[in-house]
Amino acid sequence: MAEDKPDIGRLVDEAAKAIGLPIAPEYSANVIVNYERSLAIAQPLLAVELDDELTPGPVFRP
Amino acid sequence: MNDPLSKEATATDIARAVMSGKVKASAVVEAALTRIERTEPAINAFTDVVAQRAKRRAAEIDAGRHRGPLVGVPFAVKNLFDIKGLPTRAGSKINVDGPVASRDGSLVRKLETAGAILVGGLNMGEYAYDFTGENAHYGPSRNPRDPTRMTGGSSGGSGAAVAAGEVPLALGSDTNGSIRVPSSLCGLFGLKPTYGRLSRAGSFPFVDALDHLGPIARSVGDLALSFDAMQGWDPDDPVCTDRPAEPTLTELGEGIGGLRIAIAGDYFERGAEPEALEVVATVAKALGASRKIVIPEAAAARSAAYIITAIEGSQLHLPRLRTRPQDFDPDTRERFMAGALLPGAWYVKAQRFRRRYRAAVQKLFAEVDVILAPATPCTAPKLGQVMMKLGGVELPVRANLGLYTQPISFIGLPVVVAPVQRAGGLPIGVQIIANHYKEAAALRVARHLEKEGIASAPPA
Repeated sequence: MAEDKPDIGRLVDEAAKAIGLPIAPEYSANVIVNYERSLAIAQPLLAVELDDELTPGPVFRP
Repeated sequence: MNDPLSKEATATDIARAVMSGKVKASAVVEAALTRIERTEPAINAFTDVVAQRAKRRAAEIDAGRHRGPLVGVPFAVKNLFDIKGLPTRAGSKINVDGPVASRDGSLVRKLETAGAILVGGLNMGEYAYDFTGENAHYGPSRNPRDPTRMTGGSSGGSGAAVAAGEVPLALGSDTNGSIRVPSSLCGLFGLKPTYGRLSRAGSFPFVDALDHLGPIARSVGDLALSFDAMQGWDPDDPVCTDRPAEPTLTELGEGIGGLRIAIAGDYFERGAEPEALEVVATVAKALGASRKIVIPEAAAARSAAYIITAIEGSQLHLPRLRTRPQDFDPDTRERFMAGALLPGAWYVKAQRFRRRYRAAVQKLFAEVDVILAPATPCTAPKLGQVMMKLGGVELPVRANLGLYTQPISFIGLPVVVAPVQRAGGLPIGVQIIANHYKEAAALRVARHLEKEGIASAPPA
């Protein structure tokens, strides 16, 4: 549904504020394009269902 | 054997000639420096040439001070490798303001211990976040097969320098395809070893979870020769394996007997231009391989590699994105900024998925030893090209040249790219994928293709 589509422009603005990353107005449009691209590319991963037992890949060796 | 002073000379040719006293290392270095000077205006592979250092080293070799299997072989490294006395650019303008390296990177030291001679640092996409070989600060590296086209990246200078015959051997890095994409587009042999096989100490990182280093060359023998010289545990890279080195050069003559070879279907057949699939078919036929297998969830693997890269790479550069955004290459800046804002939960999911995918692919390797897949979905795009048509769909060049390399490096499998030169057309490569730590199997297959004249990498 159209109303479920996130407002990426707003998301980018607010998330950047939250982490203290200033984004100049001239960069903003392309940051949004890239965020939208990442969202599209992430879909196959987001669709995967994982068992609770599956822990992350990296191995930390103390 | 090629004339050791010619651009056709391989590292093996040069080392043999120097070892036997047929030619002086100083003459080899002079010849390489002359070729670099003549060729650079057209291809822009180098950002730094260390002529004095190289001449000094060659003189030491001629005085009998250094020996080794790569004696007298000139080589160059992507400029994310530390070179003593130079800033480690990593393709950026920002790093030039940082400290100069106090010592050479680990692999540079290993190659020089084996007798090779460093001649310079090579152009690359900024901070390795790149598949094109373009760079706003230093200009694009140009493809020696057609200088109006991309080398592929991010090890673009490595591809250009070897394809032009400036040096027989270059080192690159590969996080998602940055050795394999330029090897394919420049028509060269490239080796991305198993994750953790070669030390990354003394190189500027991009994505620790996925970064690999490896060689690009014009013969399979040179890949094996240099790979063997670089193997071995290094306490300075916590990911570097403590498994004993497994020499591959002595394995090359084994042929392909006993190797079960299959072709990756499904994901690896979709979205490619016809030439990318044609060369896979040519190579498969030459190897007598007809079995098709499906690498399960390859699309999700590519997606996960993309997410890990975006989030980890952006986190690394966040301080610089805050303070010096104007000094980034515009083609990386906004991708890094977007990556810094992606949800952390995606990163964790991608890392959890990585384990499941690894287990599934390991099952496949119980049935086969080697898997063939396209290296790139197309031949070299034009410089400056932003969009390309793949399988009839208009897609961004930058995000999609690594479509077929990302699901493989995601779980650190070793890959050799075998280049196929096409009459009247541009070259394109095939990925020869083996199980973890089985670099020798992939190299044996590549050697067979080279011997049969199917894969080759003459200088442009």
